[in-house]
Amino acid sequence: MLARLAENLFWAGRYVERAEDTARMVDVTYHTLLESPYVEVAHAWAQLLDVLHLRTDFGDGPIDQDRVVQFLVLEASNPGSITSSIAQARENTRSVRELVSTELWESVNDLHLAFNARDLRGELADQPHALFSFIRRASMTIYGVASETMPRDEGWRFMALGRLLERAEMTCRLIDVRYAQLEAMAGPSRRLAQAATAAPDPDRVSDADEDAGGLLARGADRTDFHHWVAVLKSASAFEAYRRRYRSSMDPADVVEFLLLEPDLPRSVQFCLNGAVHQLEVLCGGRPSRAARMLGRTAASLRYRDVAELFDMGLHELLDDVQDQIASAAEAVADEFFRAHPSGAMHAIATA
Amino acid sequence: MDDLFARYDLDGFFDEVFATDGGAVRPHYTELISRLARLSPADLERRERIRDGIFRTQGITFTVYGDDAGVERTFPMDLLPRIIPASEWATIEAGVVQRVTALNRFLDDLYTGEQAAVHDGVVPRWLIETASGFTREAFGIHVPHAARCLVSGVDLVRDDEGTYRVLEDNLRNPSGISYVLENRAAMTRVLPLAFAEQRVRPVDHYGPMLLKALREVAPPAAGEHPTAVVLTPGVFNSAYFEHAFLARQMGVELVEGRDLVVDEHVVYMRTTMGLQRVDVIYRRVDDPFLDPVVFRPDSALGVPGLLSAARAGNVTITNAVGNGVADDKAVYAFVPDLIRYFLGEDPILPNVETYLLWDPEQREAVLERLGEVVVKPVAESGGYGMLIGPHATDEEIETTRQAVLADPRGYIAQEVVSLSRHPTLIGDRMEGRHVDLRPFAIAGEHVEVVPGGLTRVALKRGSLVVNSSQGGGSKDTWVLDDDPGGANGAVPIGLLRQEA
Repeated sequence: MLARLAENLFWAGRYVERAEDTARMVDVTYHTLLESPYVEVAHAWAQLLDVLHLRTDFGDGPIDQDRVVQFLVLEASNPGSITSSIAQARENTRSVRELVSTELWESVNDLHLAFNARDLRGELADQPHALFSFIRRASMTIYGVASETMPRDEGWRFMALGRLLERAEMTCRLIDVRYAQLEAMAGPSRRLAQAATAAPDPDRVSDADEDAGGLLARGADRTDFHHWVAVLKSASAFEAYRRRYRSSMDPADVVEFLLLEPDLPRSVQFCLNGAVHQLEVLCGGRPSRAARMLGRTAASLRYRDVAELFDMGLHELLDDVQDQIASAAEAVADEFFRAHPSGAMHAIATA
Repeated sequence: MDDLFARYDLDGFFDEVFATDGGAVRPHYTELISRLARLSPADLERRERIRDGIFRTQGITFTVYGDDAGVERTFPMDLLPRIIPASEWATIEAGVVQRVTALNRFLDDLYTGEQAAVHDGVVPRWLIETASGFTREAFGIHVPHAARCLVSGVDLVRDDEGTYRVLEDNLRNPSGISYVLENRAAMTRVLPLAFAEQRVRPVDHYGPMLLKALREVAPPAAGEHPTAVVLTPGVFNSAYFEHAFLARQMGVELVEGRDLVVDEHVVYMRTTMGLQRVDVIYRRVDDPFLDPVVFRPDSALGVPGLLSAARAGNVTITNAVGNGVADDKAVYAFVPDLIRYFLGEDPILPNVETYLLWDPEQREAVLERLGEVVVKPVAESGGYGMLIGPHATDEEIETTRQAVLADPRGYIAQEVVSLSRHPTLIGDRMEGRHVDLRPFAIAGEHVEVVPGGLTRVALKRGSLVVNSSQGGGSKDTWVLDDDPGGANGAVPIGLLRQEA
């Protein structure tokens, strides 16, 4: 197929996922802050900007909740905002209207129209969760429609590839922002692994007649619990986690689940495996640098021990994985989207 | 019928359905009109709803420029088709084939031959050299079978007498064929039984016809299975729907300039599996934007090096570069002479009477009666910059007079052609509206004309402007296989079962 159309589908997949995942992350940050008297609010939002690599785009102004949320949701000049992602998803789908089902185009167009028809500022001020749920549902509708209406041809695979790579990256960031906030809350010296051992029994947390001193002492742990539940919920993984790990809420388990679980659709491992699979089919046997890079990342995670991850520094590892995904995405573009004559003087024609 | 055509008035115009004297229904319309007469207003409304549904769901739209939101509108199709009897069509067809054949000979000789028509004084050299569409960059670029106008959309109008006259040749990038096909598809669902009663020549083979012609003009080096593509300026172009439609009809790729790359004078398209050679480009990008190396350097729609690849004989660009010279309205005036010169035949379809204003005598005569004629700039199309004398104010006439005196080469004058009218459903009854006809000719090894073409309707009362962007609509256009009264018994069985 034409490289440009493949690239449009790849980015349509990425941008829909980016809108959804950004909504998930703003939602989880917003709601954990509501329940966290111990966390410096501005600091938490600054960290979210950091893991999204949007601190520079945000600029020098004061970091407060309203400004950051508006920047991440509404700001058209922010290329990573939800509004920009939705617009980009629509533009990319519009360019391939001839290739995708009418239903898919309509579902993407509907998201764009319905999002812009909402009272966004009012909702952010009053009921942000409803807005974020709407985006999440619309995004899942789009993938559902794509999955049920598109033939499993090249176009479908590039769209799926874009979605999987974006999600792998965003799940890394979701874990990272949680981890960063946890460290900040507990003080720079506190290691997550220690927090893990002190994770409370959820039943006891809901116990109302705890003494005041205990409450203060256990405050951090108690908030931990809420925070990790929120993270799992924002990855639509809370129920699955419960079934797997029962009632324990161990941060190490949560990280293991979201990072390494091969059967969880939003885990990094799952997405990487899926991306490698799509690339292998797309290449039909010919060697692919992108597939090799992603396969290596997936394999390095697969045989990791979670305790070891904490020892070597979770943040650094997550950064590494994100870098590798970004390089692999570059390799995908080189391999599939930028065919050019071998003559060196023509290499610039791809711009 | 009493209701639908109550108060229908010919207003002194030539009417396609009703005879000028006496107002009897013309023989080729009797079946249709009597069928319509059996429909109640509710029936008509239901049929209009069916039609609207078809056009909406298929997204048959064009984009109106200048609107921020890029609003897409449908091109409204009138329920009443235009009917052309077989014998009348035979004349139109022969006339269009003749004209396109002569124009192809003229253009091919101009750009790759001896310029015989110029040497022999059929068309003045200075006139050719001052035509804005004259393109020196096209010299030496060959097109197999001299099919430089692979697709032409010759605009015809009918005068007071009902004579078909050529208004414009449209040899560059004529659009509208997608409406012809979509109108027909919709009409067979809206008025199925009307088709059953008379044999209407089909149009749906246009895609295969075009693809066949494209393959015929591929460079010989392309071999048995040349790769053809449709080149579009992109999704924001007003005719994008048609570009996509044609690519789909032919089963070829719809590419943009950035999808193509030229290496060593060979054109390739960028695919996910690497570069794939392209042999024929049906381009819907205008000349000035086609190749930034040769034409406008700021064009992002084109492909650098495309013309050199064509000149090297590695790719055929069609319609060919430089056809615009023959669309110049002053050059148009010479087409009847070109037909006589190249084919040794008399023109079958006359031009509209045209005056060349650089000629002192003709200019003087025209300037004395500006209020009675139409004055057009030579390089424009679609009615831009036109003066319609009888409808103009004194001030407009004076402005035009000054413009003509300042640049006599830049304008031509024509006698006013009133344009025939056709009953058109306005609200719940029929009113006469002016129509034109754009048949589409395809030139490969031979020139063929798609039966019918696009009938455009000026939906505004009294208006002569049929353009889609200015409130125009369209009609399905039926060419009958036989004249009424001829052998015409067979009815396709499948259609008999449907209810009209």
